[in-house]
Amino acid sequence: MSRTIVTLAFLGATLGLGVTLPAHAVDGVSDDTVTIGAFGPITGPAAFIGLGGRDGMNLAAKEVNAAGGIHGRRLRILFEDDAHSPSRALAAVKKLVDQDRVFMIFSVAGSNSTVGVIDFVKERQVPMYVSIASAPQVTQPFSKYLFRGGTTEAARYGEIYSEFLTQGLGARRIGFISGRDEFSKNEADAVIRYLRSWFNQEPVKRVEFNIGDKDFTPQLLELKQANPDVIMISGHPAEGAIILRQARELGLNQKFFGSGTMVDNSIPANAKSAAEGFMAAWLTPLYFGSRHPDMVKFETAWRREYPNMPAGRPNVFDLLGYGDLHVVAEGLRRAGPDLTRDKFIAALETLRNWRVSMVATPRTFTPEHHIGNLSLQIMEVKNGEWTPLAWESKRPSDILKHLKK
Amino acid sequence: MSPPQRVLILSACMVLLLAGPWLLGTYQQYLLNLVLVNIIIATGLNLLTGNAGQISLCHSSFVAIGAYATTLLYANVRLPFWLALPAGGLVAAACGALLGLPAIRLAGFYLALVTIGFLEVTQILVHELASVTGGVRGMLAPRPSVAGRLLATDLSLYYPVLAVTLGMLYAARNLRYSPLGRAFDAIRNSEAAAQALGIPIARIKLAAFTIAAFYAGVGGGLYAAVVGFIDPVEFGLWASVRHIIFIVVGGLGSVTGSVLGAAIITGLPEWLRRFQEYSDFVYGGLLLAFLVFMPRGIAGALADLRRGWHRSRARVAAIGSPSQ
Amino acid sequence: MSLALNAQLLFSGVSVGSVYALVALGLVMPFKAAGIVNFAQGELVMVGAYIALFLSVGLHLPFHLVVPITMALAAGFGIAIERAFIRPVMRAPEFTIVVATLAVGLMLKNGVRLIWQDNLYPLAVPFSTDVLALGPVRINPLLLYMDGTAIVLMALLALFFRFTRQGKAMRAVAQNPEGARLMGIRVSWVFSATWALSTAMAATAGMLLGALFGIHPEMGHVLIKAFVAAVVGGFVSLPGAVLGGVLVGVAETFSGAYVGSTFKDVVAFLLLIGVLLLRPHGLLGTPLARRV
Repeated sequence: MSRTIVTLAFLGATLGLGVTLPAHAVDGVSDDTVTIGAFGPITGPAAFIGLGGRDGMNLAAKEVNAAGGIHGRRLRILFEDDAHSPSRALAAVKKLVDQDRVFMIFSVAGSNSTVGVIDFVKERQVPMYVSIASAPQVTQPFSKYLFRGGTTEAARYGEIYSEFLTQGLGARRIGFISGRDEFSKNEADAVIRYLRSWFNQEPVKRVEFNIGDKDFTPQLLELKQANPDVIMISGHPAEGAIILRQARELGLNQKFFGSGTMVDNSIPANAKSAAEGFMAAWLTPLYFGSRHPDMVKFETAWRREYPNMPAGRPNVFDLLGYGDLHVVAEGLRRAGPDLTRDKFIAALETLRNWRVSMVATPRTFTPEHHIGNLSLQIMEVKNGEWTPLAWESKRPSDILKHLKK
Repeated sequence: MSPPQRVLILSACMVLLLAGPWLLGTYQQYLLNLVLVNIIIATGLNLLTGNAGQISLCHSSFVAIGAYATTLLYANVRLPFWLALPAGGLVAAACGALLGLPAIRLAGFYLALVTIGFLEVTQILVHELASVTGGVRGMLAPRPSVAGRLLATDLSLYYPVLAVTLGMLYAARNLRYSPLGRAFDAIRNSEAAAQALGIPIARIKLAAFTIAAFYAGVGGGLYAAVVGFIDPVEFGLWASVRHIIFIVVGGLGSVTGSVLGAAIITGLPEWLRRFQEYSDFVYGGLLLAFLVFMPRGIAGALADLRRGWHRSRARVAAIGSPSQ
Repeated sequence: MSLALNAQLLFSGVSVGSVYALVALGLVMPFKAAGIVNFAQGELVMVGAYIALFLSVGLHLPFHLVVPITMALAAGFGIAIERAFIRPVMRAPEFTIVVATLAVGLMLKNGVRLIWQDNLYPLAVPFSTDVLALGPVRINPLLLYMDGTAIVLMALLALFFRFTRQGKAMRAVAQNPEGARLMGIRVSWVFSATWALSTAMAATAGMLLGALFGIHPEMGHVLIKAFVAAVVGGFVSLPGAVLGGVLVGVAETFSGAYVGSTFKDVVAFLLLIGVLLLRPHGLLGTPLARRV
């Protein structure tokens, strides 16, 4: 009897080994399809990130497939929810790599979820293209399997914001009001770091708030006493709109500059006149409603694909997912018909300032760095609408310089 | 059940537990590890809530304390992992005793709110001590090793996690039938009656909080090892609510209930992946349906079933016997 | 800091406090009548706001119709939830009821998110929102409406419980459901009425919150502070809920100004622990005999 069990266990074990051994062909590549695994939050408070990213990339995949696919292969996208939790993100990616055997991973997730899966994709040597997360661990230390697309380095936000605040706006006294969540805190930290190192300025005051706060009177009064020229808000629209309005109510007449996530129509809609002159940085050259033909084309295609979406969509994540999936498709195209992961990585590294259209910033990857985008567009609310400002960063970024060392 | 039958079933279970994971891929092995970790966490909470009758909405804080303490002791202090793990559990237990001091004077929703306050404080501490905890950015937790061999794969980690889980379950089962466990029951049923029986209520409640926190802390340490990354969002109020769902679905006061509840509620969101953004909505609906049909949890329903079966067998026996 | 600053802080604190108080009033009701602590109350606030949004933006109804229709729809919704999900588990252990209300909340939040996603919607109101200057203190008139609504609702509810047949019936059920049934009170009707009343209150809070701060799926998060407010006030006392709300709001605002915003969220709980240690049944609560 015990021998039977041992035999059975042994058989099971061999079977298990057989299951986990990699198949001969490249995972996720067949004669007529390339399977891409994607993950991001589509439930819970961060759902707007993943829903936008997913719908944007699905639209791009549809366009690629409608144009005949790539070397006769259609793109097939498997999307998994991570609920903005690193443990669920790891489950999603393990499922995609291990069970669905995808060719590559496309992340439209937040920073912590993305950082949590890095070790696993590196160990399995699966390329991961990161569209939205700005965590430094994606690009440093360098790994040939990790790429960052539409969003830029957390440090780059610091560089551009500090340059714009001090040079563009000529601010000498800068105050900060920042959320205590991961995104807002990272952003404000980066800006303050570069204010110090590049422009030798100390913030006159930094105050913090919690996500879900409704009243910001104590923080704003503290800021008012410090008497800054410009106040930077790091946070999301739900709090940002209230902060803008309460600041004006309390008699703070300073200029306000905000996070990239606050370039959103809900800011002028909710803060009304208090939003006039509010500025923030946007991750693509054009805003929605622009009459530029590329944006008109994108918005028409998007609305045809998703006719019943609520206000607030498409959002920036739709644009990032859309632009970045086209970048991936271009990489697959350049990798040639005999697709392997190494060829795909090498092909992506040949991209120089490539973009599908003006709805995305240009991407460059080289064998030395996988930082796709270093540019941001400053926007301002004029007459209740977000409009691009003509300002451009002049100081070259330190980020690539540090990499070469 | 006759003893040989029982041995056969037990050994079949052991073989399944030991050999089964070999047949699975890393995805399922990883989920299996998460299930084991959640079983430990649920068992601790069930001792506190199901047995001693104390509500807690900060069980996830003790998981967090265990996870951070274990990881820091292992990665920074360079203690061996299998020492860091119980040490992390003890740190959590100490914090549990600390919470227990004010908590033993309170009951019901007053207690629930004080535990939410404790959760807020823990979250703020993780945020503010960013130089050690990584703050909101979280931190990577290195994999443990056994006898110098790194447990790099989910499968290799599975066996030690299984051993710890079985050990903790065994301890919980014995605890239930010990004098302390009986005192828990007495307090839950009626504090006044327990006091009249001479049970030192304050001390027993304090013990319940400490033990539950120890279980959570050990679960947290293993969680960090299994996932490899921890951040404060994973240990928020919603995590505590999920821990309560574990034991309510499984069955209050039952070790089997903790096991089944943790396994089902850990697996459910994975099974619901097919519903994409509708998954949380479906999850809420399933949960409600479950509560309506099994208000005393799976363990409660099983007990009813068994009672019904015994009764019908007794009836059959009663009908059958006169004819013999 | 100067007197003017303190006055400004006090006004803000009271206003934030009346947000907590409004939500807390809705929490006290089902607890008073049926011993149920409704963890979905925050989501009911949110659903009320979205109903108003749908009526005013989707159906273009004028505001003076939006308010009563929203309250009526919300009341109906409350009855439906009570009938469908709460009543079947009424006899189950306390914990099962708690988890049932949590599950209802989860479904509501996700349902709303599936339809409207995470956009922040403004709710237009036909009142002037120009800032009033009262000496050096600046006041948003909408906040005054909110303070006023909290007080008026509290008073109306207190009168309702004290003087109307229905109110008395609810109190009787709360004290002893079996006894109330024997006295000819329809207990099941009372339960439904309580839920109708408390969801209508939640919807009122939702409309005010929406007008002031915008409508968002996470706006129900205010529930935790409302809980603290209710417990500080005594959990069965309506004036206690308002007093608790104002105390929590003022404590938060002043600690935010004088101690720093980091521990602003802990202050509410410190206040809670302080009150519970001094008066275990809250400021205006009375010791309840445990139901056995």
